[in-house]
Amino acid sequence: MAIDVSKIIHAVMEGSKIRESKGIIPLFGVYLSLFSVNYYNRLSFDFEIKMGQQREAEARTLLIEAAQECGYATFQGIRDSWEWEQVVTPMVENKEDQILGFVAVAVAFGWGDLAIEELDPGEKLVMRASDSYEARGYLEQYGLAKSEKCYMLRGVTAAFMALVYGGDYPDSCFTFAAQEPRCRAKGDPYCEFVARRSSD
Amino acid sequence: MTIFDWQNELNRDGHRVVISGQPIAMHCHHYNINLQKTLEETLGAEGVQLLYRSAEETNYNSLQHLFNQYKKIRTLKSKLEMASLLYQNCGLGIIHFRKVRPTSAYISSTSSHHVTGWLAKHGRRETPGCHFTRGWIAGALEVIYQHPLGFYVVEERQCKMKRDEACVFHVKER
Repeated sequence: MAIDVSKIIHAVMEGSKIRESKGIIPLFGVYLSLFSVNYYNRLSFDFEIKMGQQREAEARTLLIEAAQECGYATFQGIRDSWEWEQVVTPMVENKEDQILGFVAVAVAFGWGDLAIEELDPGEKLVMRASDSYEARGYLEQYGLAKSEKCYMLRGVTAAFMALVYGGDYPDSCFTFAAQEPRCRAKGDPYCEFVARRSSD
Repeated sequence: MTIFDWQNELNRDGHRVVISGQPIAMHCHHYNINLQKTLEETLGAEGVQLLYRSAEETNYNSLQHLFNQYKKIRTLKSKLEMASLLYQNCGLGIIHFRKVRPTSAYISSTSSHHVTGWLAKHGRRETPGCHFTRGWIAGALEVIYQHPLGFYVVEERQCKMKRDEACVFHVKER
């Protein structure tokens, strides 16, 4: 695989410094915003708290699905963008390289030090992060968690697989689903995301 | 007036992205609008309040950090300029502090990430929808006037998500 992660990070950092006159950042086919990780963490974790214990599972599902839909639309836009064509496409030799390119963009966006641990084409993706902003934020604000907390990255992991192996866009968003069996927020040494084909 | 060197403030600290040393994440309109819609639909007014409070508290802390770092920015005018510059350079849009007084303010926005994102994904809405920007404004003015969080309440009287010409915000003491 020939994806140069540093080249992609450089392109995102340089592109994110370009503003159009209305204060909007159009980059990689989407409108980007730059805002404190504390905002996103507070939204997610307070949402979970406000939903209460009885609706805890529903809260998690909603947060994961929101991220999965976002990841699916966002990375489709990224894959179709002029910047992807210029920077990433020349390095892509096969489908699996697309996943590597997606992961590099996610790292560039400041979501965590994501790395691919295992990729079984069409079947399974395992990613790890020793420092995701979600796990770090939960630990800093609430202490040790009883369950995994990286809802955004969990949804995005499934979206990566859906985009590359799920079938035609926009009908394949939920063809894959991801779990987070390990999470730093609950005391594990790293967060691990495992995406597999959805059973239904 | 050059308030601060924006391009040098946006950096990487290892795998993290930081503005003036504070960790940030880049997210696109799909995620920001999906979160807003999820919170509004699931929790109603409580979800709207959560969006507002989260933006208020986060912006309060971010601007506090910046003002502590840039001690030369002392006047009301320069602090408001810095806040608008931050809003614009974070890709959040354009914000105009029109009439700002310690007890009330009138603010407008002609362009916004959330408006652009909402309209692109869902089209026109029937109610004002810039909860993020309302909270952001509250946090900015509370830190500028050295009031505690929650001191101001910000209402959106016109909203581009409803196809009004601009978003118009009124600020008053709670």
